[in-house]
Amino acid sequence: MLRPARVVWSLWLRPRTPGVSAGNGDRRNVASGGPPSGSTSPRTLNIFDRDLKRKQKNWAARQPESRKFDYLKEEIGSRIADRVYDIARNFPLALDVGCGRGYIAQHLNKETIGKFFQIDIAENALKNCLETDIPTVSVLADEEFLPFQENTFDLVVSSLSLHWVNDLPRALEQIHYVLKPDGVFVGAMFGGDTLYELRCSLQLAETEREGGFSPHISPFTAVNDLGHLLGRAGFNTLTVDTDEIQVNYPGMFELMEDLQGMGESNCSWNRKALLHRDTMLAAAAVYREMYRNEDGSLPATYQIYHMIGWKYHDSQARPAERGSATVSFGELGKLNNLMSQEKNNL
Amino acid sequence: MSAHGAVWGRVRSRLRAFPERLAACGAEAAAYGRCVQASTAPGGHLRKDLCAPEFEALRSCFAAAVSGKGGCVMVLEVQESP
Repeated sequence: MLRPARVVWSLWLRPRTPGVSAGNGDRRNVASGGPPSGSTSPRTLNIFDRDLKRKQKNWAARQPESRKFDYLKEEIGSRIADRVYDIARNFPLALDVGCGRGYIAQHLNKETIGKFFQIDIAENALKNCLETDIPTVSVLADEEFLPFQENTFDLVVSSLSLHWVNDLPRALEQIHYVLKPDGVFVGAMFGGDTLYELRCSLQLAETEREGGFSPHISPFTAVNDLGHLLGRAGFNTLTVDTDEIQVNYPGMFELMEDLQGMGESNCSWNRKALLHRDTMLAAAAVYREMYRNEDGSLPATYQIYHMIGWKYHDSQARPAERGSATVSFGELGKLNNLMSQEKNNL
Repeated sequence: MSAHGAVWGRVRSRLRAFPERLAACGAEAAAYGRCVQASTAPGGHLRKDLCAPEFEALRSCFAAAVSGKGGCVMVLEVQESP
């Protein structure tokens, strides 16, 4: 089920100091028929340097003013909390995979969640956890290797951290594994169109200046693949939504500095170590010319995929048996008559 | 990064001045941007140094732009007491 929703959220940021380049790249197609759960076959994708990602996140969490880069994660954290509230249930035990500073927990309350486990690979982020009244346990662990037993959690949430995972099918299978039957997974991750303006500007500028280009933005999962992945991991009753957030920046350097401050710098193995100043200058000029808004600011698009998946339980609704229909679609126009007839008969 | 503190600090301070200097070269940047954008139209072919003259103009303007031109101006609002 796909419900694309377009949300435009503009925020004018004060001019700040620029930073070095952040990540770029192409859509990545996940191969169907990957490694079975619990094993790492030689065909496992190894795109990201997880060690470097941990260092980047630790660095970002240690910055003196790290809270000013949190706007995107706080917004998505609150949206995920909304979705959790929409589910009319209480969850005694919940898990946050890739929690950062705990952006989801601060929007939830003790009645909905009994106890919250928060997982992240960066210890500095866990040390600076945001305040919440739910009892939390912080665990330093990788999203791909969850250190929990089967059928442990009623709820697993994940906000904007799965796009750095190397083996996404395996991570989703692990999440499915630690969920109890009739448990639910509510996740959000960046989608294919994220930062396309930055990606295109850098590609064009690098082609014009250097004769070729290398990916600077990491590859994102396509929305079709996401549905397949969730299904393959064993989730039922999937829901995948698309949200777009557009944030306006004064210039390209401010955007790159914000991405670095969020801990979202490029860490793919095939990244180019150096981005020439000429190329940066050219890319900033191209970005401004091609994408600027009327008021002179530059938009950056963040496309978020929200996904909800359930672990199978007998009590869940299942599709009806083939051939068990009692009315045909052809009688849809006379539905009101049929229903009033049934009421009279009862 | 802590091992290369001096180099990192120098690089960062140079990059920090980029937005201001770029803002001073709006016309050249727009000309370069238009040239590259034109090559993305159907029939255009983007290759190395296609827009080299525009970029040279932009680079020389950028090099000539001095950061902090004009200095800081503080505006104080003085309210007349009734």
